[in-house]
Amino acid sequence: MTTSMSTAINAYVDAVQRVGAGGESPAKTPGGNFADLVKSIGENALEAGNKADQMTLSAIDGQANIAEVVTAVANAELALQTVVAVRDQVVSAYQEILRMPI
Amino acid sequence: MSEFQKAMQIATSGMIAQNVRIRVIAQNIANAESLATEPGGKPYQRQTVSFKSAMDRASGAEVVKVGNIGVDRSPFGRQFDPGHPAADENGYVLLPNVKPLIEMVDLRQAQRSYEANLRVIDVARTMVARTIDLLR
Repeated sequence: MTTSMSTAINAYVDAVQRVGAGGESPAKTPGGNFADLVKSIGENALEAGNKADQMTLSAIDGQANIAEVVTAVANAELALQTVVAVRDQVVSAYQEILRMPI
Repeated sequence: MSEFQKAMQIATSGMIAQNVRIRVIAQNIANAESLATEPGGKPYQRQTVSFKSAMDRASGAEVVKVGNIGVDRSPFGRQFDPGHPAADENGYVLLPNVKPLIEMVDLRQAQRSYEANLRVIDVARTMVARTIDLLR
């Protein structure tokens, strides 16, 4: 995972500020739009998951150490948790806007 | 790579190093009574393991690696046993220089070090998970 979790959090903060600003076009804000945010954190989680899979497979072959496997799986789990938490927050913010009385 | 991930990587390297140490200790204990096969030959020589710190280029973290596995050059024990196939011309058999007490203390030390590294991983993981929980 090249980008750290704090990057994801920063991106999330950006997303929230964008939602809070209201009426502003997402494409104009610095730091990319919401789709990019979701894509990048999704890719990070996927990468961590792939690494965990690789380590597990090589552990079955007897090549990797059990400690390495556990660390890789823990990393993947944390990355996935980050993605899920950020997604939940963004979706709930979106639903909040939908509920706005017109 | 975040600092937490680095911490976990370093702790993992410590666990792997202790794995090697446990392996060497097991070898010493198992061979504590391995004698020579020919008259006047040398019995099993105790092995030692040393660690060194190494820079992991990918993450910039200072991890621990196994330096080298050497042999203990302390003198062998001797026992008078003329009937033994490994006895020399004076009837003495050389015994391995493995001291079970020292091996046991080493084993305990390896166990403690492994547990300490395990704890580091546990704490780092919990800290990250608790931070993510803030979003929920």
